[in-house]
Amino acid sequence: MADNKIYWSGLEELDRTPEFEQLESQEFPAERPVDEFLADDRLQRANTGRRDFLKFMGFSVTAATLAACETPVVKSIPYTNKPEEITPGVANYYASTYYDGHDYVDVLVKTREGRPIFVKSNTETGYGRVNARVNASVLGLYDSARLQAPQLNGEATDWTTLDGAVQKGLSGAGRKVLLTGTVMSPSHSRAIAALAEATGVEHVQCDSISYGAIVEAAEKDFGRRVFPSYDFANAKTVVSLNADFLGTWGDTVWYTTEWAKTRRPEDGAMSVLHAFESGMSLTGSNADRRTRVKPSQQGNVAAALLNEINGQGHVAGLDEAILAGVKAAAADLKAAGANGLVVAGDNDVATQCIVNAINVALGALGTTVNINEKAALHQGDDAAFATLVEDMKAGRVSALIVDGTNPSYHAVDAAAFNAGLDKVAFSVSTALFADETASRCTAIAPNHHWLEAWNDLQIDPERIDIAQPTIQPLYDTRHATESLLAWAGQTVDAYTFLRRTHNAAYSAEAMYTDQDWNTGVHNGFLAVATPEKVAAAYSGSALAGALAAVKGRKGGGFELDLYRKVTMGDGQQAGNPMLQETPDPITKTTWDNYVTMARADMEAMGLNTYIAEKDPASVVKVTVNGTSIELPAFPQPGQLPGTVGIALGYGRGAGNEAIGKAAYQVGEGGDHLADAEGNLVPIGKNAFGLAGSVEDLPAFSAYDVTVQATGETHPLACTQLHHTIMGRDSVVKETTLDGYLAEADAKRGDASWNRVIGLNVHDDINGDGEINALDKKAAGEFDLWHEHAVDGVGHRWGMAIDLTSCIGCSACVTACHIENNVPVVGKDEVRRHRDMHWMRIDRYYASDWSKERGAEEGLGVISTYAKMEEPGANPQTVHMPMMCQHCNHAPCETVCPVAATTHSNEGVNQMTYNRCIGTRYCANNCPFKVRRFNWFHYPGYDKFQNLNPAQDAIQRMVLNPDVVVRSRGVMEKCSLCVQRTQGAKLEAKKAGTPLEDGSAITACAEACPTNAITFGDLNDTSSEVRATYDNNRTYHALEEIGVQPNVAYLTKVRNTPNA
Amino acid sequence: MLSAPSAATAGIWDEGNIENGQALFNANCASCHKVTNEVLAAPGLAGIADRWGSSEEILVQWIQNPQAAAATGDPYVKSLVDRYVGTYGWMTAQAVSADDVKDIMAYVQNPPDVVATADTGTDCPTIYDALEEEQGANGTIWFLILLTLFLIIALSAATVRRSLERAAQEVAEDDDAPYVVRLRAWAWDNIAFVSILGLFVVAYLVVIGYQGLMGVGVYQGYTPDQPVKFIHSVHVCENEVDCQYCHHSAYESKHAGIPSTNVCMNCHKAVKKGSRYGEVEIGKIYAAIGFDAESGTYLDGEGQNGYQSPQDDFQGKPLKWNKVHNLPDHVFFSHQQHVVVGGLECQNCHGDVGKFTVGRIAPVEEINGLVDDFPGLIELSKPTLTMGWCIECHNKAEISFASSGYYEDIHERLKDDLRGNEELRKYLEDEKTTVKELGGWECAKCHY
Repeated sequence: MADNKIYWSGLEELDRTPEFEQLESQEFPAERPVDEFLADDRLQRANTGRRDFLKFMGFSVTAATLAACETPVVKSIPYTNKPEEITPGVANYYASTYYDGHDYVDVLVKTREGRPIFVKSNTETGYGRVNARVNASVLGLYDSARLQAPQLNGEATDWTTLDGAVQKGLSGAGRKVLLTGTVMSPSHSRAIAALAEATGVEHVQCDSISYGAIVEAAEKDFGRRVFPSYDFANAKTVVSLNADFLGTWGDTVWYTTEWAKTRRPEDGAMSVLHAFESGMSLTGSNADRRTRVKPSQQGNVAAALLNEINGQGHVAGLDEAILAGVKAAAADLKAAGANGLVVAGDNDVATQCIVNAINVALGALGTTVNINEKAALHQGDDAAFATLVEDMKAGRVSALIVDGTNPSYHAVDAAAFNAGLDKVAFSVSTALFADETASRCTAIAPNHHWLEAWNDLQIDPERIDIAQPTIQPLYDTRHATESLLAWAGQTVDAYTFLRRTHNAAYSAEAMYTDQDWNTGVHNGFLAVATPEKVAAAYSGSALAGALAAVKGRKGGGFELDLYRKVTMGDGQQAGNPMLQETPDPITKTTWDNYVTMARADMEAMGLNTYIAEKDPASVVKVTVNGTSIELPAFPQPGQLPGTVGIALGYGRGAGNEAIGKAAYQVGEGGDHLADAEGNLVPIGKNAFGLAGSVEDLPAFSAYDVTVQATGETHPLACTQLHHTIMGRDSVVKETTLDGYLAEADAKRGDASWNRVIGLNVHDDINGDGEINALDKKAAGEFDLWHEHAVDGVGHRWGMAIDLTSCIGCSACVTACHIENNVPVVGKDEVRRHRDMHWMRIDRYYASDWSKERGAEEGLGVISTYAKMEEPGANPQTVHMPMMCQHCNHAPCETVCPVAATTHSNEGVNQMTYNRCIGTRYCANNCPFKVRRFNWFHYPGYDKFQNLNPAQDAIQRMVLNPDVVVRSRGVMEKCSLCVQRTQGAKLEAKKAGTPLEDGSAITACAEACPTNAITFGDLNDTSSEVRATYDNNRTYHALEEIGVQPNVAYLTKVRNTPNA
Repeated sequence: MLSAPSAATAGIWDEGNIENGQALFNANCASCHKVTNEVLAAPGLAGIADRWGSSEEILVQWIQNPQAAAATGDPYVKSLVDRYVGTYGWMTAQAVSADDVKDIMAYVQNPPDVVATADTGTDCPTIYDALEEEQGANGTIWFLILLTLFLIIALSAATVRRSLERAAQEVAEDDDAPYVVRLRAWAWDNIAFVSILGLFVVAYLVVIGYQGLMGVGVYQGYTPDQPVKFIHSVHVCENEVDCQYCHHSAYESKHAGIPSTNVCMNCHKAVKKGSRYGEVEIGKIYAAIGFDAESGTYLDGEGQNGYQSPQDDFQGKPLKWNKVHNLPDHVFFSHQQHVVVGGLECQNCHGDVGKFTVGRIAPVEEINGLVDDFPGLIELSKPTLTMGWCIECHNKAEISFASSGYYEDIHERLKDDLRGNEELRKYLEDEKTTVKELGGWECAKCHY
């Protein structure tokens, strides 16, 4: 019954709690907090009496009236010397490269009047596609908490003094160490070598998220200490053993794009994805078959897989359900042969060695797994770091340079590192912020933000990617390469040094004359000679030991998996309010981390499983080897009972470090909360301390943990509570690949998986002589409204979203957020369902029950619904991007009393803010619940002072000047990026040519790494969106209500066997 | 930019097209050179053919790339450099071909409208007097008031005498009653007079109130003071500098833009003294960009119009102009759309700026008055820079489908019976399509 799954939007819906039912019928809670406001003590303490208040009011009204009659004086300040390439009002794009230690993407940076305001993929020549973390990173440039000058002993200083101090610090006896993340820049490496030569500094690399086991396993099995490159585009079967490669694991952005290429049902075949995990990851939610295994069983799952494939492994400690999953995965792997691929996320050398054996047995070496192709990602050496910490604690380290990493936050034993750091005579950090590590260092030599700096980066041996500055440094910062060189005694600027890396003879006279370089900067990369590939030889000597190591593994009461959220990553952007507010694609929770638990476990412990505006989550205490953490518990469907998950990347700035205003919790008044000692309260808790280490490798999982209820509660802000699709299969349509292929040639509306939805009419239209339930007419044929002429006239903007490709990564959400100046409203407002995202991704879980099954088993209607409310233990998931559907028969338009929302003849539902008087009738009448109301003046009201970028004098520079910042009391919603369609039309008119398909594209479609979103002119018969729209998988959400949207969805096709 | 082959330069003095040359001259040369002997920002060009002492190739090169021409070591060019560069600075390299130069030279030697141009000079206002005209606009109101008063007097004249008589009678009868009561009694007795008077008072207040409210947000005639007393009439009318020479981004962007100071310096590096305010106002430009008028050098030491980096000792001090044409934040107006695509003249919205001093919002009546000089101008009735004014024009302005491939494509879609929509094909019936019919009245065209 794969075609008739029932989706429910969350556990609240399943429970049908009174609060949920109330919310279901009302998008906006009727109750306004007037009583709360009046009862507030602060009101009594205020100095302003009622009479004064009336006086002020009277004066303000009069003043405002008078002021309205005056012409406002606006200053207009032109350049004194206008740079040739800048025309005010016209955007410039520059190719650059983003690398933060995890994500590596070639990007285009959009600048307006010299300000970078948007980051998008460099799709023409670039590597990878942006994700939420990359496109939101532009906000970090303008963070007012960034260091504005070098610091020495906590006080601002100048560079000369600082350099003197560092050089003195480096002249001491003992170990002198440069600690970095994985360095991908040839120039920076060269500077490190120069520093080592001049001062004897040793270089230690340490990643915040260690991939040490993979690198070590590669060394054992192939003799090369590298992170392999995985070619997902070549893979026909992918098996993920707790590797969230679509969200956070490895070179995510590259894998995502490549994997999506294999998932087009129109090609007649799709790759198949098996996932083995304990909690629900983004990859697991997109898996064709997801098997739930405990962290302690992962190694044995790998062994069982190997056993199925070539008999070398073993079967130990796995139950029937897991073995069934293993058999299914092994069968698909064997069918794919060399096009099979197994990836494992556990940082465990034994598991990784077994995975290597599987990939080798499949013959995948050279097709989907390459040991030698890509340059070094994830080169951290955890053993060297452990030795360093030991030496620091023993006082053997005289100087430490920390460059681009933050071990005081992310080290598994941060306390040991900090204790060691206190014993280092001189330490200096190149951090942008006085973060956990930098604030403990003697000196800080702040680096440029990536948008301010020249850089060269290399992930692909055939090319050097170039990052170019898109703005002058905002503050008195210095390129880290230049700092290292200065400390090595070389006075050379970073740019010259970088040019000399690629052309030793470079001199300033040749700055603009090297055409190869100019082309490289324009395209974003320099092609370099392809190094000869040397095939890797598999030794297999480590396999027996690895199998033995995993065989006896057993877990305790609870097992823990430490994962990363798609939005927050390793936490380096904790001060980015847009990322904090972007809901996690699975839990739909913002501004927090929590313990994901199975519902059954929570019920057994008496914890609250219903989390809503006024129903906070129960706080639990998770203890691992004596280390405890207290976090709210979140009931996660699909979580294996007996396991818990906690997201890393939270709890930044626990020592009051200045890492950005948005990194700390705020109270209802908008001020930062402070604990008893007056310290700011970070968002969430730091779980790196629970990671544990095995032979210096952080394990990020624990096999024996205790979970105790504390009796405390903590509110969580989830965005998905106010929707219901119970029993409405017109919202999400799906089928299996076999089901699709069986009717691949069916006309749209004919296939069993995408039938036209019919409505009954009171007329004998089928001619059977009576008026009955069989008299149905297609929903699209009903017309309550006058025809709105959009077909064939001018443009008709339309969008098609392929649910097969959409993985829920939320890159579109952040792209939309930045492009359209959507305000950040903070946890308290999100909790009240006043989130402002124009674009959201609805996540629906499937239930094992349907009306048909209920009928078959002879249950009554009510019992059937009750059964349908039972969650599937391991539900399938759908991610459905939802934004204004731009209905041609828009219910919102008919109820607006002031015609503030109207239809254009380009098919766009227009929202005119300056006309809106805020009745909110439109939001109430919207079947998709996509309209957002400005409850407050977000750019000015105190409550948002520490959250909304528009309230920060510097951060507001990120606002898009082509979109107005809405004021209080108006409704807003997706405009299909009308500023972009208008711009594209203008370009076409100027050129005097028909509008080219693809020249107008919305921010979400541009950001989508899997090309799930197609946008264009439906009236252009040759456009891509027209073709997608005419696909037989295409349907409209809630087709039966006949609103005729211009946004369409494509039936989700899973590559699962027919049930 | 190498010197052109001699075949292209042959007959440079006498074979060009005068009309084409005039257009080229106005576009490229007129901001600095005149065709007479008069010096503008550079020597006048009258008699150039007689005095040019070098080859035609060198002439073309001298125009295309003066520095390169000087580098050839040509003695005549050297003499030019010695004589003029110190005073006027290097000429900006011009992107013109050898054929263009031919046309320009034809025009320079035989300027057909040189006399006419000289004559129009007298039309240029020497003093800004529109302000006085503004005062006259209130005249209508005073006329209405006076008319009302006159009518009241005329209508009531007949009853006054009778009223007075009756009043006197009543006073005699009821002297003790309070004033209010007596007034009411009087009003009751003179009901016709009081009613008419009341009607006029109410009508007057309504008219005044209505006009007052309609005037909220109307900024016709708004002429803010500016940091530099820039005189448009001197630049536009007397010296015939094209609008786009300074406001060039009207063609490239949605903003017409206020020229950056380096644009001023193109001419004012040479023109150091203004005709009205002498060195005072031009001195403000020099102070902003950092230019020493006496030595003729930039303080940042980077030569002419050198790009200043923040590391330079001298930081530019931008001029803080007061914006004249203010639109609210939620209005997105694009100059490009109207000037490049719509082909509108600047005067259509800004009036005859050549008659202004500093920037000013031209009242709609003033703009309508230009219709004889600008045949394409669309006469409108609503006040300038109000939404009514915008959409009135969108209702009247027509789109020529043949004007561009873009509109041709849209037209084809409208005509297409298979795809075209019945309801909207009516737009094609009257043989003309206005901006409104293609969606020019839709909110999201300007508000987003």
